[in-house]
Amino acid sequence: MNNWRLKEVIVMAALSVVFGVVYLAFLPVGGVLVGFMGPIGYEPIFGIWFIVSIITAYIIRKPGAAFVSETIAATIEVMLGNGLGPIIILVGMIQGIGAEAVFAATKWKKYTLGVLMLAGMGSAVTRFIWGMFQGGYIAYAPSYILAMFVIRLISGALIAGWLGKVISDALAKTGVLSSFALGKIYKQRKKAA
Amino acid sequence: MNQETLVKVDQLTLSFEDDPKKLVLDDINFELLAKENLLILGPSGCGKSTLTHCLNGLYPRELDGELAGEVFIKSKNIHEFIHGEVSHSVGVVFQDPETQFCMYTVEDEIAFGLENKGILPSEMENIIDHVLELVNMRAYKNRIITTLSGGQKQKLAIACILAMEPDVLVLDEPTANLDPVATSEFIETIQHLQQQKDFSLIVIEHQLDGWVSLIDRCMMLNNQGQIFYNGNLRDGINVHRHTLEQQGIWIPMPAKLALEIENQADYRFDTLPLTVDDLAAHQVPIPVRPTRIKKSNTSLALKAEKLSWAKKSTTIIDEIDLELYEGEFITILGANGSGKSSLSKLIAGIEKPTKGSVYLYEKGLNEWKERDLRMKIGYVFQNPEHQFITDAVYDEVAFSLRVRGLNEEEVRARVSVILAQCQLTGFEESHPYTLSQGQKRRLSVATMIIDDQSLLILDEPTFGQDANSTNQLLSLLKERNDAGTTIVMITHNMEIVQQYADRVIVMDGGEMVLDTSPNELWQKSREQLKRWQLDIPIQIKLEQRKQKDVSYVYS
Amino acid sequence: MSIHNLNPSIKAITIILCVLLLTMVFDPITPLVFILWIFFVTIFVAKVRIKKFLLFLSPFLIFAVGMFWTNVAFANEPINPTDVVSLFGRNIPREDIQTALSLSLRILTFASLSLLFLLTTNIVHFILSLMQQCKLPPKLAYGILAGYRFLPMIKDELVLIKSAHRVRGVNRAKTLKEKVRQYKRFIIPLLASAIRKAERTAVAMESKGFTGSRDRTFYRQFKVTPKDWLFLIMMLSVLVTLITIAWQVGYFRWYNGEI
Repeated sequence: MNNWRLKEVIVMAALSVVFGVVYLAFLPVGGVLVGFMGPIGYEPIFGIWFIVSIITAYIIRKPGAAFVSETIAATIEVMLGNGLGPIIILVGMIQGIGAEAVFAATKWKKYTLGVLMLAGMGSAVTRFIWGMFQGGYIAYAPSYILAMFVIRLISGALIAGWLGKVISDALAKTGVLSSFALGKIYKQRKKAA
Repeated sequence: MNQETLVKVDQLTLSFEDDPKKLVLDDINFELLAKENLLILGPSGCGKSTLTHCLNGLYPRELDGELAGEVFIKSKNIHEFIHGEVSHSVGVVFQDPETQFCMYTVEDEIAFGLENKGILPSEMENIIDHVLELVNMRAYKNRIITTLSGGQKQKLAIACILAMEPDVLVLDEPTANLDPVATSEFIETIQHLQQQKDFSLIVIEHQLDGWVSLIDRCMMLNNQGQIFYNGNLRDGINVHRHTLEQQGIWIPMPAKLALEIENQADYRFDTLPLTVDDLAAHQVPIPVRPTRIKKSNTSLALKAEKLSWAKKSTTIIDEIDLELYEGEFITILGANGSGKSSLSKLIAGIEKPTKGSVYLYEKGLNEWKERDLRMKIGYVFQNPEHQFITDAVYDEVAFSLRVRGLNEEEVRARVSVILAQCQLTGFEESHPYTLSQGQKRRLSVATMIIDDQSLLILDEPTFGQDANSTNQLLSLLKERNDAGTTIVMITHNMEIVQQYADRVIVMDGGEMVLDTSPNELWQKSREQLKRWQLDIPIQIKLEQRKQKDVSYVYS
Repeated sequence: MSIHNLNPSIKAITIILCVLLLTMVFDPITPLVFILWIFFVTIFVAKVRIKKFLLFLSPFLIFAVGMFWTNVAFANEPINPTDVVSLFGRNIPREDIQTALSLSLRILTFASLSLLFLLTTNIVHFILSLMQQCKLPPKLAYGILAGYRFLPMIKDELVLIKSAHRVRGVNRAKTLKEKVRQYKRFIIPLLASAIRKAERTAVAMESKGFTGSRDRTFYRQFKVTPKDWLFLIMMLSVLVTLITIAWQVGYFRWYNGEI
């Protein structure tokens, strides 16, 4: 945390707070989908719960951004009333590790759409392993488990990776990111054009 | 007379990395003595805040750019301070009351600074009580900060700084987000503090009504980040009055009136009067501004009957009957929380009343289709950014035309007319968020007049704007009003009321307590006006004073 | 013992340890008894009002019932298809009922444990304690506190943005694509303003001398006392005892044994 600027830390916290609220707001959406489709209902929108990792890492571009932001967002979610409680913080960490591992593999240097989508999928993988262990997926039929996994991977890539990038880029265009890594890249690009 | 030099700024020059050629600060030199009060005047974007960051030790550490020259605090070069140490000597109160704090309660926030400074926990309680006493907020010690009003938050911000016992207090546009009553309260607090504590003051402002009596010296900055005046405030305004006006700096209202007198009558002030007393001392005719006469014979545009609105069983609006006529310019006045915004949102159909109804052209609001209603009533929110929905100025204005299905050619024609009217031509491709405050405001108005809305409601549109953009906005509104648009505007600015409104509505505790013309409002007793937290415009103050003098002479 | 005054970090660790232990248990009876114990602690020791507790718990009751139902409906092939129980006029493998029951009871246990924590803990104190006891870096701790302060502002702003967009004539979104676009329109101003606020707050904090260093004093000091350990030991020993009894009586099931 020492090479982080204070404003980067607080911006990360602010993003996490916003998405902590979003995460909580999407729980009932998932609930409705589950009502229609069964446990697999969560899967198409699962990527939503990984998105703050992608956005924060893409904007700030420092080691730890993906992991810490997801953990804070989960903490906020708990404070606001996700009744699964402290365990959600643990889940947040597990999701964060998945994304962080992908960024670590690029030595925190590459932030292309491909890497972001892989990072979203990374969260999907670690979260799925946890779900197998703790959430009781293991009690479902194997083909059902496989379907869940594939849909979650796709959702992680699209909703977390792709949508996360779209949102961050739109944000960079407003100019509010001008003193952060992504904003600086935008300024250089604009100057070059 | 050998006073200690607290701050010395020597050939300070600064630029940011994205535009190294543009100097934000250009060769700034000045000194601040102990117990001296310095005012720094400058238009928005003149590098005032950048200068603050140079004084409190944030730059060069956090700067993405180049800094040359030296800053000394108590003869020690700012480079020699260890991280965080400058805050023991220089404290800053910032503009935005919402974002100066990181803790939840008042006492924790004051403690935060003390913890940073390494004060022993056993001593903290006493210090906290003491500084809260100083700003007269002892009763708020355990309060959650978000429940405080803007004015209270700014006073808390001073308390936090005072607790750290700095030698220099920098106030960076501290009242820009406060209403007039809270503003004068804030300035009084500062005055009171200076009698009790020894500290120097640097006030950075673009609006200086109220500060005049407190200031020892004034420094003026221009758009290029250069100092063009450093000396006595009175002389500075006298010599540079035109430059100041050009730069969009608010000069004190009496001085402004004096300039008008010079223009209208054949009279010249040796030194410009800065206060009402100054001006009253001159035997000059007060220029008669054309007061607007309430328009009659126009037809009814909007009618509200027994309008009431309650939220969680608290009454916010209480049985209001109201009629608005075509072409009127109406201002809604009242203290914060008196129900001004709520009333405006109810008549705009943004909120639904709990009781009563609103008719627009004799048709109930609930019978209007949302889209048709929006083509009749425009509503400009306080923060323009909230209303932006696209990535470019052009698309922003064109949005509703495209929704209506107009062809691109027609869209282009109408958008370019409106953009020209709002002085936004040339910014078509810019992202709305990257515009200046004044441009953002005019863009938000542009989006609300593009459909030729016949009723335009604005919630404090001149709040926090500099003199230039306020004038541009008001002349735009006047132009629309002359063309027949009904304008309803919430404001705290009595000068605007006096100059533009032909009708005023005063709100108090959710009730409409007055519906009359501005001239009749000024006749109300001082106590009455104070209860509504209203002031009277300078010109009326002068007139009343002259009348009193006259009656005094003849009695 | 007042649960409210316990050290927040130790309280959280206790809850997490209980949760981790419970994840290994896969029979319905152990969590059921443990839930009763948590109810007892919450209502009689921590003196949380029953009404308030049930109000907070109710969504999870509903969720648990839903969980039970989906688990019965989407269960894997049972090993023992002949061993059935009659429920709502249908024959359902006993095994599936057991699995579903333990999963939904598990949800309820987690929920009541976390309510025990949330209803007795000041969140600001929790973060401060994490910094003082668990080596959470001050930069992060105060960063989170500053971010947490934005919550009410963000809520107010969302309401404003929604009505401001309505005035612009943005149609109510009907299709999924329109909805996504609308979410984006809401989130950008919200995030932009949050980022600006965050930046300003950072500047204000630094100008009050905040450096992020550990070398600072604390107005509110959190310490770990014997009664904190007592609470941890008490909660864990109840759970371990329950598990042991289950083991002895023979109804205990490890989670891993389950396929």
